[in-house]
Amino acid sequence: MTGYADLLLLAVLVLDLYVVYTSRLAGCVRASALQGAALALLPVVHYLESPSADLVHVLVMAASALALKAIVIPHLLMRALRDANVRRDVEPFVSLHLSVLLAGVLIGLSFWLATVLALPASGHTHLFVPTAFATFLIGFLVLVSRRKAITQVIGYLLIENGAYVFGQSLAAQMPFVVELGLLLDLLVGVIVMGIVILQINREFDHMDVDQLNLLKG
Amino acid sequence: MTALMLHLALLLAMPPLLLGIITRTKAWFAGRKGPPLWQPYLDLWKLLHKGAVYSRTTTWIFRAGPIVTLAAVLTAGLLTPLGAAAAPFGFSGDVILFAYLLALGRFFTMAAALDTGSSFEGMGASREAAFSALAEPALFLALAIVCIPAGSVSFAEAWASPWQTWGPAHPALPAAAVTLFAVLLAENSRIPVDDPTTHLELTMIHEVMVLDHGGPDFAFVLYGSAIKLFLFASLLVHMVFPIPPAGGALGATVFVAGAAAVAVLVGIVESVTARIRLLRVPQLLVGASVIAALGLAVILYRGIP
Amino acid sequence: MFQPAMLLIVVLALPAAGAVLCLLLRSTRAVLALLTTGVLAAGLAAAGLAAAVFGSGPLRAIGGWLFVDALSAYHLVLLALVFSLSTVFAGGYFRHGTHALELRTARRFGALWFGSLAAMTLVLVSNHLGLMWVGIESTTLVTTFLIGLHRSRESLEATWKYLVICSVGIAIAFMGMLLVGASATRALPVPSDAMLWTRLREVAPRLDSAPLKIGFLFLLVGYGTKVGLAPMHTWLPDAHSQAPAPVSAIFSGVMLNTALYCIIRYIPVVEAATGGTGWSLRLLALFGVVSMVVAAAFILFQRDAKRMLAYCSVEHLGIIAVGLGLGGLGTFAALFHAANHSLAKTTGFFCAGRLGQIYGTHEMRSLRGTLRAAPLWGVGLLLGLLALIGVVPSGTFASELLTVKAAVDKRSVVVLVGFLVAAGAVFIGMFGHAMAMAWGKPPREGMAEETSFLERAVVMLPLALLAILGLWMPQPLRDILQQAAAVVRPEP
Repeated sequence: MTGYADLLLLAVLVLDLYVVYTSRLAGCVRASALQGAALALLPVVHYLESPSADLVHVLVMAASALALKAIVIPHLLMRALRDANVRRDVEPFVSLHLSVLLAGVLIGLSFWLATVLALPASGHTHLFVPTAFATFLIGFLVLVSRRKAITQVIGYLLIENGAYVFGQSLAAQMPFVVELGLLLDLLVGVIVMGIVILQINREFDHMDVDQLNLLKG
Repeated sequence: MTALMLHLALLLAMPPLLLGIITRTKAWFAGRKGPPLWQPYLDLWKLLHKGAVYSRTTTWIFRAGPIVTLAAVLTAGLLTPLGAAAAPFGFSGDVILFAYLLALGRFFTMAAALDTGSSFEGMGASREAAFSALAEPALFLALAIVCIPAGSVSFAEAWASPWQTWGPAHPALPAAAVTLFAVLLAENSRIPVDDPTTHLELTMIHEVMVLDHGGPDFAFVLYGSAIKLFLFASLLVHMVFPIPPAGGALGATVFVAGAAAVAVLVGIVESVTARIRLLRVPQLLVGASVIAALGLAVILYRGIP
Repeated sequence: MFQPAMLLIVVLALPAAGAVLCLLLRSTRAVLALLTTGVLAAGLAAAGLAAAVFGSGPLRAIGGWLFVDALSAYHLVLLALVFSLSTVFAGGYFRHGTHALELRTARRFGALWFGSLAAMTLVLVSNHLGLMWVGIESTTLVTTFLIGLHRSRESLEATWKYLVICSVGIAIAFMGMLLVGASATRALPVPSDAMLWTRLREVAPRLDSAPLKIGFLFLLVGYGTKVGLAPMHTWLPDAHSQAPAPVSAIFSGVMLNTALYCIIRYIPVVEAATGGTGWSLRLLALFGVVSMVVAAAFILFQRDAKRMLAYCSVEHLGIIAVGLGLGGLGTFAALFHAANHSLAKTTGFFCAGRLGQIYGTHEMRSLRGTLRAAPLWGVGLLLGLLALIGVVPSGTFASELLTVKAAVDKRSVVVLVGFLVAAGAVFIGMFGHAMAMAWGKPPREGMAEETSFLERAVVMLPLALLAILGLWMPQPLRDILQQAAAVVRPEP
């Protein structure tokens, strides 16, 4: 039983790398949906290991995370992708192979950071902190090294996923309200970003944030 | 003694059956009935009774290629656990010897291909060299994931009971299994890396290297590749299925069932995926290495008990 | 029985209700009227709450999740003041020409305006760190659409940059907040306490310093993005220059201060936990000096009036950060400077915005002869810019002088040199522009428009306050500032 949370977190890491590696926008969105599903299962697995928190809390958390991260948000992003008539390529500044290498370095960095931090571990699993930092940092990488506005949203999603994993490791402290607040914030944030992306696409006829350089100085 | 007999029997008799299972699975997916399961045995029999033609441009390397490959693979088979943890020959470091015996076989196949003097075979040899160079780290990383928690580089100890080492290695074992499966597909020229039934220049890797062999040589080549697939499958089976370390009848049964399951899985994968572009194969192999590396990082981070 | 603590709920509920109501009204005039009354009412409630806190000490509500002490009360007063001024100004601003609001835009503006007031109030009154975070994130999401109120290519670009940069910053701040919570696992056995600021402050010396320090770093970078500290300030000039003038005024006047307030809240906790070595203060001062220098560099080459004011905000928030980072007298000076800067900056944005409407452009090359063409706004802009540079007799001069004195007392050479160089550069840059805009030949005759009493009040009142504060610090104000500064000091 102890290993299942680690298994989910390993899947999260692999999906991080996939998001960095893939050159298709739809692939990025689907990978982040799968990641959301894996994250939604985390509180359930945690509960199975140490049945301390109440079941209702856990189930509501898992259900809302699943609905939001794995269904609603990817659906919104795919809709935005379809409505904005752009090429479905990722168009990175840094080549994809180099990005994967950088992502690997970042994962190593987060493992090191986790040992430096030496937080009191929750339960038996130890992979929460490295995965949280890795997803966080890889989200940054995706945000910074891609040209399309939608990939910036996906980078933001990854950053929030990293924060979510970290929050899971401190499950005892995190009151219900704040976790739900995080999810709600994510939803509203993505909706707002989607709306602005569509506005940008209508005004500018492209989604290339590299070309948003009218305001300088 | 009985263990040795059982081991040899499995090693010599089972591999072509795996090929038959794969072909049958693919046929079922395609809606056909397909050839009988023992068709590869009949093919081998037929080939052994044919004559062989040797080109004047070839040397002894061309004749030695299939023989050395088969010998290397059979020797590797004597090291691998088949149905029981302990193989007839085992010593510390036999995991590494296993990998390099397979490499020896591959080397001689490539040498024989280059020996023909045809650019067609040479192209296949160069592709094979490139891809196996990438598959090797993936293979070693996957093997490391099992060996490091067990603390030994010997099949007998490391593969003794992966289920007991599942404790500390739990999330890493699926990673190792996935990587090993990807290496299996790459080393044995299966879709999505290479199509074993194609004869188009654009898409051939392994097939093109052995194009000029005929008769008994081709029988050796076919048998050798079947054994290689069988050996990879056995490693995978031992990782995933609960085989008692002592072996015996139960071990053998579970092992045979597991090997058949792996063959069915290969058939399914071959049926549902398309062959990926040659440029993509390195990415697939590097991705597999990365997954194994992640698994290894997990093991090292959590500490080795 | 009327309890002052009930004001805590009122001050949150009023803007929230106003936001909903705005969506139901039927005319632009009604929306603007509701805005004025609602904001003024909320402002009065805030003032009452502040008076109660300054008089008799901190107030709590909702089981300790809401908490107002001297620091929060001071910021609440600033919030009320700036919002009230900006709302009155907005009433006039949105009646003219291209910026006139049609009903749908007006409703949206009203709801978002009230929403941002509610969100900022939530940040200032919450004791629960998570609730504070939710408040700041809400300000980002609500104000995003305020920037792009009048849709254009430039405003969309500014909106996107603002949204992405600030969202990422807030996500970083979330990680920091979690790390701070993690550092309290040993000291606070009841887990739900770990996110309450008052409890953290009590047990501060017993917190784990490694995660706390890393968490503070994350918080500084994360919330610092929202404050506009360099190098995370890149969204600021675009957002402030493209947003309508009232929106720029609340951005510079209160939103940046509210984000800085979030950082200030963590300082006494970190300082007490790390043994009062000043680690967090030095970091904050470093960011402050860097912001000042970067802002000064960019101000020298500015051509757009509102962009220049935006960089000026970066500089002044840097000054406040430097003051906080110096501690002691510096904290007092920083808090005083917050008020002065808010007053001066709002006036500056009001005048720059109106002048932009009158002249049709914000380019400083074209804004010539404002004293003759539009006397009220020209005078306001000139005096506002002079106040921002720190010319005597303005409150900004007094607070900057106090900050320099604090730096000298602490013998922080780097901070002092950086401060003086940057302030000097800003003086040179902005002074030249202020003079050029005030005098010179206006492009055409007869540009002056009638100014209403309200508009005159909105410009003259802050300037008058600034002049008074520059010459004399009333004793009540001194007491208030000292009470607020005491909250930031690490001694229990």
